[in-house]
Order: sequence, then structure tokens, then C-alpha cells
Amino acid sequence: MRLYEHEAKLVFSEQGLKVPENYGVVRNADEIGGLGAEFPVMVKAMVLSGGRGKAGGVKKAADVAEATAAAESILGSVIAGYPVRTLLIEHAVEERAACYLGVTINPATYNLILLASPMGGVDIEGVAREKPEMIYRREIPGNDLELPGEIAAEVAGFLAAGIEGGAPEDKLADAVGKLYAAFQGIDAKVAEVNPLIITTDDQVVAADAKVVIDDNALYRQRKLFRLLGLTEARHDSSELTPDEKRARDAGFPFVDLLPPDAPSDPDRLYVGLVPGGAGYGIFSIDEVANIGERFFDGKVVPVNFMDSGGGPRLNTVAEMFHLLMDKEVVDLIVTSRFGGISSCDVFIRGLIKCLRDRHAEGKRVLPVHGRMVGTDLPGAKAFLEAAKAETPEVLKDMVITVGNQKIMAEVIREGVAAAFAGRQS
Amino acid sequence: MSAGTLSPIPAGSGLLVHLIRSVRPDLAEIIAGTNEIETAVIGLGGQGTRHAGLMQKFGTKVTAGIAPGRAGERIKETIPVFDSVADCVAAHPNLAAVSIWRHFSSAREAALEAIAARVPLVVLISEGIPLRDVRDIIAAAREGSSLLLGGNTPGAIFPPERIKVGMLPDVFHPAEPEPNQAGPRGVTILSRSGAILYHMSDALASAGIAQNGVIGVGGDGAIGSTFRDLVPLVMRHDETDLVVVAGEIGGSQEELFAADIKARPELYPKPLLALISGKHAPAGKTMGHAGAIVAPGQEYGTFRSKRDALTDAGVTVVNSQYDLITAAKEILGTKTYFDCGKYYERMKANWETLPEPPSWGTQITLVEPNNLVIAGIPLKEIIPERSLVQAAHLLVGLSLPDDATTAHLEALAITAAQEPAPAAPVRAGEQLSATLARFFLMDEEWTPATDEPEEARILTAVHSLGRAARFVAEALGNGHRLDDDGEDYSFGELIARAVGDREGTTPERVRLIEAMAVASVDHGVTPPSAQATVLAATVRAPLPMALASGVGAITDVHGGAGMEAAKYFLACRDLAKERGIKAEQAASILLEQASKRGGRTAGLGHRVHTKDPRRDILWALAESAGISGDCVAISKLMERIFPEVRGFSLPINVDGVIGAVVADLGLDPVAAKALFILGRVAGLTAHYFEEILTQPPMRRVNFAQARYRGLFRDPV
Repeated sequence: MRLYEHEAKLVFSEQGLKVPENYGVVRNADEIGGLGAEFPVMVKAMVLSGGRGKAGGVKKAADVAEATAAAESILGSVIAGYPVRTLLIEHAVEERAACYLGVTINPATYNLILLASPMGGVDIEGVAREKPEMIYRREIPGNDLELPGEIAAEVAGFLAAGIEGGAPEDKLADAVGKLYAAFQGIDAKVAEVNPLIITTDDQVVAADAKVVIDDNALYRQRKLFRLLGLTEARHDSSELTPDEKRARDAGFPFVDLLPPDAPSDPDRLYVGLVPGGAGYGIFSIDEVANIGERFFDGKVVPVNFMDSGGGPRLNTVAEMFHLLMDKEVVDLIVTSRFGGISSCDVFIRGLIKCLRDRHAEGKRVLPVHGRMVGTDLPGAKAFLEAAKAETPEVLKDMVITVGNQKIMAEVIREGVAAAFAGRQS
Repeated sequence: MSAGTLSPIPAGSGLLVHLIRSVRPDLAEIIAGTNEIETAVIGLGGQGTRHAGLMQKFGTKVTAGIAPGRAGERIKETIPVFDSVADCVAAHPNLAAVSIWRHFSSAREAALEAIAARVPLVVLISEGIPLRDVRDIIAAAREGSSLLLGGNTPGAIFPPERIKVGMLPDVFHPAEPEPNQAGPRGVTILSRSGAILYHMSDALASAGIAQNGVIGVGGDGAIGSTFRDLVPLVMRHDETDLVVVAGEIGGSQEELFAADIKARPELYPKPLLALISGKHAPAGKTMGHAGAIVAPGQEYGTFRSKRDALTDAGVTVVNSQYDLITAAKEILGTKTYFDCGKYYERMKANWETLPEPPSWGTQITLVEPNNLVIAGIPLKEIIPERSLVQAAHLLVGLSLPDDATTAHLEALAITAAQEPAPAAPVRAGEQLSATLARFFLMDEEWTPATDEPEEARILTAVHSLGRAARFVAEALGNGHRLDDDGEDYSFGELIARAVGDREGTTPERVRLIEAMAVASVDHGVTPPSAQATVLAATVRAPLPMALASGVGAITDVHGGAGMEAAKYFLACRDLAKERGIKAEQAASILLEQASKRGGRTAGLGHRVHTKDPRRDILWALAESAGISGDCVAISKLMERIFPEVRGFSLPINVDGVIGAVVADLGLDPVAAKALFILGRVAGLTAHYFEEILTQPPMRRVNFAQARYRGLFRDPV
């Protein structure tokens, strides 16, 4: 879960890091006059994205009029796909030097890594590329909750050496230690201050803050939630489509690959996917697209990502199919149940429940082609055969291969071929 | 199951022992020598328990389950449970692998324990573990002697050895160099995603390409072993011809893997194929600079970055099942590992098998028509030869005690019976079961012995028998006769006194009275009294509470027939005397009268047995004890008399026989019921402990689904 800048600063401030005075978070430009701010102030777009400075989402203002004008220009703009709805108004500190300070996880070793540079600011990535000697990097292998003092001192020394006229090393070391401790305490994946400003009066102030919390650890961060005034985890997405929202409410990950209002091409075949786990959720998109290119003149379009693995309950399985059958653009559903932790039995019962309910309610029933193999297959097969005998009409367009007598790619190819053939007849 | 018909390879030539050799060479040699690969399951919730069974079904030896506070229990009715990995390893030092199924909030502790116990292969199934915890786990694994897979892995399967550690479906196939014999050669597959792993393996198998190892490295952000840790290791295995890895968008594992291949090509001497997923996936969003600073100037996480990095390192990259098959065939040439036709037949046999009906097991008593077997010994052999405490030992411990233990248990039962009963009222006209249940409920607190060794449970069972004898004596007004009067007598004689046998009884009478209690010890889990006790055990009620439930269920409807039968036989005898007719005539007359009133005839008919296995032996004992009189004689004629009166047959049951013997012994008819309950306390105690030790709390019990899964031979 990503934190907004003002939230991240609250966390840092709680840890004892110095941050600029926060005058308020506003939704309208005309609120600024009533904040009682001491100018100059910074007007900052609150969006969950980096690169705000470069995108014009951060402006300095000397008085209310300037701040109001800045606010009007930023509010309603879109930064990296995120519409700007709120602004942080905070004191603009007087900067003598700008550093970079960050803690994250080294993807190569999974150890924590401490990063610092005396050349902080918007172009820190360029510094890393072009002047690697100006970047301090050190892995902290022990996963301790506190940073050993000598490492903090080493970082402070490195930063001070790169700043003209030096810098207060004790305050810098203190900031490094606190950032590290905050990172561990809130189960962060990233904790970053850029810039970390040395003010003209030699204070060390976190003028920006980025924090990403490990979603796996949110359950044990109730204290953080209370601090931020959040009652539940914030979903990290710009805008959900209606179907993405529907899937989220039903408890399974789903992503629309086409915009909700995209026109459908009558020559193409649109394939909805109920694929199994997240990995095959991604791979099945490739498989459908590749099979389309290889055998069907590129006329096959996968419409969604779905993670239907992890042992969903029967009603959730039914809802996965309902969602795609309600989706107008979909022509065919391809499904695979490779039962590991998930049960073939629950899967087939959920699918058939969906088809029977739709039939009874007079709703659209799409052809479903798929395969099931693995855990609980014998029971699933017995259920499938009995169900086909009971309601042959309802299940006539459901073609489920039992066992691995053909590979899934073949099942997809045959399903697509059947759907095109059905269209011609 | 799929490999079920193939004989597994010797452990020493397989990939699993090869992997173990990299962390525990000492243990690898031992396992190669014993040819036994032991595994354990940590975390015994629904999934862990269920998959322990599926692993066993695949052919893997699941030596133990591990869950804190549950030592002494058994999962799947047979797999012993230990409190900690350390305890398990102390008992099973050759443990090769564990799978961890704990919830993400406690997975860290389990993994650290397994690593500290130096288990060579630790498979962390749990998903969604906080990264800070994962870092602790990984750091410990690096320091220790464990190869860590996961978290969020489906586990690993080694088809040639028939070893599954995790939740993978049973569809993977080894080479079959000779008919029905697995071979160690093949392709090794590693994947971040479970389902992709299965689909890759499936595609290769469809082309006759075998797998000697199918390994999920884990789908979480930080994992114990990455491609660059595992692929060089796997490539050193002589029997691996090709390594296939499956990566996907997100993270940087594939890019780092590619960089390692370029930097250290000598570690990658064998052919390598990569399937990368996510070519058509929408681009994700990233935030923060830290990633870019860690690896400046390098794109990572996308399909393109992964494909390009691997291609640049000389690895063939594919993005579809079809291309995977083609590319693997190009590398392996015309080589095939097994006959595809036979493979499909074997797979088909798997899914054509009818699903097994749900069931659960008991190891105590086999109940079939005309046959009752307790822990492998026919009850009709136990009745004449064993005392009640010996029977209790057999029921609870599933074996018979030696003479010294028997003497000790007898003494314990007598001591327990000599303690005064609680001050509970004995109400006139009340059913004996109700009075006894009240005594159990009001008795001094007993220490439950569920987490103790088996010996302690047997002691508890014998204690409960002693208390039951006391309560019976109090209820029948014979309490004073049990008090320690300095006389030396057996527990059998104590029982005789409790049910009101005369002063100066004989050893033959004592033996006969005790034999009736032994004949009543158990009838499986389905009698209402056993059901009541088992249900109380599902919620872990204290033993006296569970016994009160069970004993309380032995009303006049269930288990009360002996008393009614005794009254009937006595009435027959008296009528015959009164009218000077033959006993069997009197029996007919009374049967007719009863039939006209529409009442049931006590002591006849049984829902399972047509020839009750306890019948003949009790008759014979009565005969040899010299007490066989009019009532026993009538009881032997009942099977002839009854059809003559009623027009259909009903066999005499054990209650009928006990009633007749009690009557001829001159005991109050209520003694028949008292002996039934007293004996059954042993069986109820055994079911109580079995439920607690082998089943999860609060389960839904379907008694019709119970199956006997105990011994069929003599356990002595």
C-alpha cells in the first residue's frame, strides 16, 4: 500500500524525523486563505505516483494569491494516470543542500539496502546512472530493527563530504537511523526521502517522503492505520473499471484488458478467461493471443486477467463465470482448473451452478471450453457426467475435457475454432 | 497415483537426494543407504492435514505432523504428531523434507524452527508472509543447512522417487526405461507460478518427455531459493538432461538469472529453456527511485526486459506451450522417456477411478455381522481369558499388557474404587444410567491425560473403571462392601461385590461376572452411548463429562435389555414352578402375553448380528462355572420358541444371555445393566481418547462414515 506524501511525513515525524510544517490538505483552491499558513509555502499534488515535480505537480508560492493560483492549475490535472483531487500545503524550507536517502530491499539478495546521495532532487536517477560514485549503497544483512550506529555515521560522513561547506553529521546520522527504524517498524518495502534538505540554519528536514507498505504485513499495522486515520487498506489503483470493482467485491483479482467502452469488432472473437492461479492467469492471456496469431489470423482477443486459483469457494467460482457472461464483449469463455490446492470438484460445481442459474433466469449463456485435471478429479468427473445427464440442454455449450488427454493450448485452439464455426453457421 | 504403478528408483540416484547432498552431505548418504525418504508436515489445519493424506496417496512417506500443543495426537488417524520440529527430528533424525502450511502470521516461527533443526529441504507453502519475516527466514536458511523453497510455493514433486512435498497435483510422470519401473533421467522444471509449472510439465509429458523434478520456487516477492541458486545445482545432477524455467513479469529474478549465466557460464553446463509469461499483459505502475538506483540504467520487471536478458545470455525463450514442446524436442532430439499411450492410460485410470466416499477411521473395534474384533483380537477370545483392566489396556493402548502391568493396573483400579463416591443423591425409581451419570459429573476432578504418553491414558482409563465400579456399588447400595477391610481381593471380586454378589462368593462366580462386563466393553463408534461420548470429545469436554454423556445414554432403550431379559427369564422360571409346567411352555405363554401387549421382547434381535459372537462363550462360561440353571436353559431355547409364537426369527443377543446368567446367579436383574455399563466405560474412554488424538476439534461427525482402520492380526 502506497502512502500519500503527507501520510508518509506523519509516519516519519512520529519517528522523530523533522518535516516541514503541514498547514493542511485541501480539495479546493479557496481553502488556502483560511489555513493561516506562513509563507512561502509549497503546493503539492497528492497522488500516488512519483515524478510530480517534473509533471508540474509541485509549486512554490510566496503568498495566498500565488498559492491559490498554483492550486487552481494543479487541481484536476492528471499525473501519471492519477487525477489530482487533493493538495498538501506545507511550509517551504530554505534549502542549502538537497540529499537523497532511501531504504529498500535489494531484489538480488532480499537484504535491506541503504541508499544515499548528497546530490538529491528530481534527477537522482540520472546521478545514479552518470555519477555512481556519488551514490552510497550498503546492504544491511542482519534484518535488525535498528540500524547499527556506525553505519548511520558512515552515511552521514559520506553525505557531508559531498556537500559544499559540510553538513551537521550528527543530525544526518540521526535521520538515517530514524528512516531505517521507521522502515522496519511499519513493515515498509520502500522508505525514501528526496530531497532530504539541509536548511540554511543547518537543520535536516525531510522535504518529501515516499513510503510503500508491504501489503502482506498490513494486518499487523493497526497502529499505523490509527495514526493515518485509515479504517481499511487502500487499494492501490488509479481507477477501477466497473467489472474490476465487481470482482474485487466478490473477492478475486481481475483486470480488464480492454477499456470498458471499447467498440467490439464483429470479425474478432473476444475470449474471457477463468484460468486458475495468477501465473496461469498471465500465461493464458499469452496463449490465447498466440493461438489467435498462429491459427486464426490474429483475430482472437483476450479480454481479461483473472486469478481464479487458491481454492475459491463454489459461489465465487460461479461469480467468476457470471461476470464474464454479463460482459457484453465476450464471445467465448476459456477455463482451466489444474487442481493443486484448488479442487476440480468445487470448480465444476460452481461452473454448472452458474450455467443453470442463468438458464433459469433467461440470461445469456456463453459457450465455455476448458479442461480440468488434478485434485478431486474423480469426484468432479462423476458430478459432471451426472449433471450432463440431468440438464443436457443447459450444458450443451460447455465442453470440459476431463484429465490431461490434451494440453491446454489444444483445448483453447479447439474452443476458438468451435466458436468461429458456430458464428458461420 | 499416476506413478503408482511404477516402482520408484533407489533414493540415492534421484534429484531429491542430490539436492540434500548440497546442504547435508552426511544425511544424503544415510538416506541413500536406507533408501527411505521421510517427510513431515508442519501446520495441521485443513489444508496441511488434507494434503498430508494426498502426499501419502501419491506414495510419499509422511512420517509426522508437527503442531505446537498437539503432541501425541495422530493425523489421518495414523500419522503421529510432534510439538516441534526439534522433537520430530530427535525421534526421526533422517527427516529429509518438511512442508510448512502455517498461516502467514506464524509461518516465520515454523520455518525458523525447521531450519534450526537442520531439515535439509524446507518447503514453505504459506503465502503472503510479511517481507520482514521472510528476510529473517532467508537469513537463517543462508546461515543454516537447509535448502529453502518458497514462500508461496506449491512445493516440489520428484516423480522417479515418488516423493511429493506440497500440494502439486499427481500428474507428473517419470521416465519408464523398463516396463513399470521408473527411471531417474529427465527434464527438471522450475517455476515461480504453480499452475504454469503444471501446464509446462503437462505439455512436456504429452510429448513423452519425463520430469525428474518439478519444483515451485515460490511466487512471493522474496523467496528462499531463486533460479540462480537452483539451476546450477540441478544441472550438476547427472540424470538431468535439460532444465526448463518458467518466469513471469514482475520482479527481477529472471534478469538477475540471465546476468549470472553470462557472468558464470561454467555453472550452466546443460541445455536451458525459459518460458516467460506476460507478453500481452498490461503494464504495471512503479513508484519510487530506489529500484532504479539499486540497478541503475537497467530495465526490469517487463516481459521485454526478461526475454531480452535471457536471450542475450544464450537461453531459448518461449511464450507458449506449443513452442515449449518444439524447443524441448529440438534440444533432446528424438529421445523419448516413456510410451505416451501408456502414460495416458495410466492417467485415465486415475480419473476413471470412482471417488472414494468420505470416511473416517477408528482403530479400536471392528464391527461386522457376527464378528467383533478389538485391536486385532476377536472379542470371543478376550471374554474367557482377559480381565476388565486388560481389556481396557487393549482398547486404549491397542495392545495387551504383560503380567506386571496387569497387576499394577488391577491395584490402581481397586484404589480408585475404594475412594468414596461424591455425595450425589440416589433417587428411587431413577434409571441406573442417570444416577451413574450424576456420579461422574460430581466426582473429583480428573486430570485429563491427552498430551501424556499412552501409558498415562491407560492409567486414566483404568481409573475411570475403578470409579465406575464405585458408582455402581453406591447406586445399588453396595458401596460399603468395597471399602478397604484389610482383605485382599481382585478387581473382579470388587465388581462382583459392587453388583451385589453374595458374601463368600466363589472364584468361578467372580470370573463369570467379570466376563459379562468384558463382553460389554465395546461395539464400535455407532452405539448411541459411543456417539454421545465422541461428540463430547469433539468439543474437548473433560473425560468425566464425556463419560457422563455416554453412560447417561445407556437408558432402558439402549443397553437396558439385559435387565428386562433377566426379569423375563425369572418370570418364566417362576411361572413354570407355579403351574408345574416346562420352562419352555412358560416362556411361550409369557411371550404371547407380551406380544399381545405389543411390547418388544428384551434380549432378542440385533441390528448387526444374527449370531452374536459373545453368546456361546458366555453360555459356556456359565456352564463351566456350574451356575447354569433354568434361566440359561430357557435362553438357549429362545431361538426356537420365539418363531413358534411370533412367526419370524429373532436371535438372542448378548443382553439376553447376560440377563439369563444374572438371573441364574441370583443377582438383582439391575446387575445386568450395571455390568453392561461398567464394561462399556472402558470402550467409551477409548473412543474419547481416540477422537481427541486423531480428529480436529469441532468436526462434523457422520457416524455412518466411520471405517475400521485398525489391526486385523493379533497385536500381542
